[in-house]
Amino acid sequence: MLNVLIAGVGGQGSVLASRILAQAALAKGWHVRTAETIGMAQRGGSVLGHVRMGNDGEQVHAPLVSRGTADCIIALEPGEGLRALEYLSATGLMVVPTTGIPSIMTNLAGSEYDVAAILQELRRRAANVAVIDAQSIVEQVGNPKVLNVAMLAAAVHLSNVRGCGLRGCITLSELEEALAASVKPRFLELNKQACAAAVASCDS
Amino acid sequence: MPKKLLMGNAAFAHAALAAGVRVVAGYPGTPSSELVETVAALHASGAAQDVHVEWSTNEKAALELLAGASMAGARCLFTCKQVGLNVASDPLMSLNYVGIKGGLVLFVADDPGPISSQTEQDTRRFASFAKVPVLDPSSPEEGFEMMGYAFELSERHGTPVIIRPTTRINHASAFFDVPDSYQARALPPEGFQRDSKWIIFPRRAYQAHGEINERLPRMAQEFSETPFNPCERTGDGAVRGIVAGGVSTAYVRDALSSMELPAYRFLHVGTPYPFPTAAVRDFLNGLDEVIVFEELDHVLEDELLKLAGAQHLDVRVHGKLDGTTLARGENSTEDCRARLASFFGVEDAAAAAAAAGEGGTAVEPPVRPPVLCAGCPHRGSFYAVKKALHKQPAVLCGDIGCYTLGNAKPLDAIDTCLCMGAGLTMAQGFHVAEPGRKCVAFIGDSTFFASGLTGVANAVYNQHDVTFVVLDNSTTAMTGSQPHPGTGATLMGGQSAPLDIEAVLSALGVGLVVKANAFDVDEAVSAAATAIDFAGPSAVIFTGPCIQLVRPDASVTVDEQACTGCSACIKALGCPAMSMTSVQGDPDEAQDAAPDEQVRNVARVMRVDASLCTGCRLCTSTCPFGAIKKGGAPCSTCS
Ligand code: SF4
Ligand code: SF4
Repeated sequence: MLNVLIAGVGGQGSVLASRILAQAALAKGWHVRTAETIGMAQRGGSVLGHVRMGNDGEQVHAPLVSRGTADCIIALEPGEGLRALEYLSATGLMVVPTTGIPSIMTNLAGSEYDVAAILQELRRRAANVAVIDAQSIVEQVGNPKVLNVAMLAAAVHLSNVRGCGLRGCITLSELEEALAASVKPRFLELNKQACAAAVASCDS
Repeated sequence: MPKKLLMGNAAFAHAALAAGVRVVAGYPGTPSSELVETVAALHASGAAQDVHVEWSTNEKAALELLAGASMAGARCLFTCKQVGLNVASDPLMSLNYVGIKGGLVLFVADDPGPISSQTEQDTRRFASFAKVPVLDPSSPEEGFEMMGYAFELSERHGTPVIIRPTTRINHASAFFDVPDSYQARALPPEGFQRDSKWIIFPRRAYQAHGEINERLPRMAQEFSETPFNPCERTGDGAVRGIVAGGVSTAYVRDALSSMELPAYRFLHVGTPYPFPTAAVRDFLNGLDEVIVFEELDHVLEDELLKLAGAQHLDVRVHGKLDGTTLARGENSTEDCRARLASFFGVEDAAAAAAAAGEGGTAVEPPVRPPVLCAGCPHRGSFYAVKKALHKQPAVLCGDIGCYTLGNAKPLDAIDTCLCMGAGLTMAQGFHVAEPGRKCVAFIGDSTFFASGLTGVANAVYNQHDVTFVVLDNSTTAMTGSQPHPGTGATLMGGQSAPLDIEAVLSALGVGLVVKANAFDVDEAVSAAATAIDFAGPSAVIFTGPCIQLVRPDASVTVDEQACTGCSACIKALGCPAMSMTSVQGDPDEAQDAAPDEQVRNVARVMRVDASLCTGCRLCTSTCPFGAIKKGGAPCSTCS
């Protein structure tokens, strides 16, 4: 069983990211279930997408990942990565971008959103954390909306390189096929660029 | 035909179309809305032939419309969220007595948690109260199977049938094989046939009650023989049993797959009412103890206790009532596993395994509640009303929709929220009780048509001095931008003349009705002040489209030389596109900083996230230093 979480803020495209992963799982013949946060939280609140894949031929029953069992958490925002940390397994991989989205509560409290402290906390508490320079990827591609796909590609690539997270079960080319099946054709090239930029960024 | 990844609600839509459903009607409500939207999309693409689909004005209107279509012989599907059934309960209660002709299925989504609802009410309870059968799927796949069965059951017994999934079924996705197109089942040639049974006189009700009492045990017997109440038996001589319903069955299955347990039996109850007594009696045979996992109410637990009592069974039933399982909120795999471990007296090995993230929490994630979007017109409306009220004592009644978020700081503009349309009438109650206060009620455009009209009529009739604030953003935003009578767009692709809220309010006799642009602070404040000062029922309509509907303007910009970092803008509006940012934190930046900036000694400035800002310009007037400037040409990256 592969348990993946996508942790972000409403509007960041976590649903698309989980659909792409599910599509990749289907292509491999795995049983898969996803679950999304829909409703009030989508208005800029925390959202959590669950993807569960029976990569050893198991049936997936529950739609939700249990705490402490996520093999991989794809954080689209550092604070949301920290919030989801309790789901990560002891050996799980978390990919997290450098760019934060300030919360209005932080602003109202008169304090500043301290992304560096959050990233440091993640590094301290999780065994495998990869901080991705999302800002430069997004700038290279020229569109902030590709962050979800870039982080997904980083997770797949680092899983393969490090042998943790998705444990090498999905290759980058399988991810790209799933991408082609999931996004509108006119956005495909843009998203492929995001994948390439994310991989390059992980390797640099 | 490749398999499609379908959200539970979309899968239910396909299943209903496969069953030949002809008329689909409902009112949006999380977590139910995507079913109707899926049918509408398939209809629009030509894949759902001869189907009528609509968002009705409210749930009561939807169910009554379907009662008519069903009496003519059409297969009908009703959709709503759990509290929507409260609104439709009037027709439902009588319809069960009158009966149906074409299969009539009510798809009612419950929301344990609750995640997006006012209550944790249990539609299984509602079903037994209404004496209507209810099916409770454990997965989108089981729900898919149940849908076709429900139509058939409905017609065979002449009863409405409820399917009640919960959020985790509605919003879970799985892959389905579905056909490319569907054809609605034809009406019977005779159509509606006049019969005294369609008229609910007391005598008819007495007779119908007898028919209901006869068909319920027949259905209970039938349920015992369906595949929806499967029993798994592991090992011999089991004395302990597990009963689960809904998504809890999936949690228990996953928990069991990672546990070593002595012999047990596990029953999933997919047809909770009428209770499949025969199947459950068989399951209980020889068991000493049973643990029940279900969300919301203890419906299965009650039925088991009733059965044990009626049949003098020596079995102890554990669940919500004795505190063995969670009394409220959602269940989960880890919770079920822990409780199963203690029920069976084994160790919960998985809980013992250390999870990541142990080792103390030094830094907490930011608190991030949902907020009104950047550029939301409601922000301007709340801001204007608060300004217009100034220091006058007031009660601000809210209602159901995105604008409930107006309660959050800094707007802090909502004191109450009860149920659809209640704000308008509650304000009248506040005025009766405390005439010295200004009583203002906010209501969205969709809610206005769904349940606001009677409240307006009441204020005019009884002359309550209240002010209605209609937040007209031209959509049903919270549930995902559905059209409504005020927009005129229909799911059948047509466009009817939009119902004009201003004309409706005037026609109902509201003494003063003013309209203002929600983004124009001066205009909005003066409109609000005029209405609030008016003696007698008055109304302000604030217009401004939901940001989901229109292309954004260019972002505003902040003149960082002029910004003093006072954060007056954020404290006034709380727009999520704004944040305070250090300008001296970075040593490189400090070196580069202009000398006068050093002199000003500004530690932080307000910055606007151009990818979120819609250029609504509401904030430009809130800066005492004029630091926020309107933007230039619209940004092209996101278009
Ligand atoms: S103009 Fe001001 S209030 Fe409007 S979205 Fe932009 S930052 Fe927010
Ligand atoms: S933009 Fe104006 S109101 Fe906002 S912090 Fe700067 S000076 Fe204060």
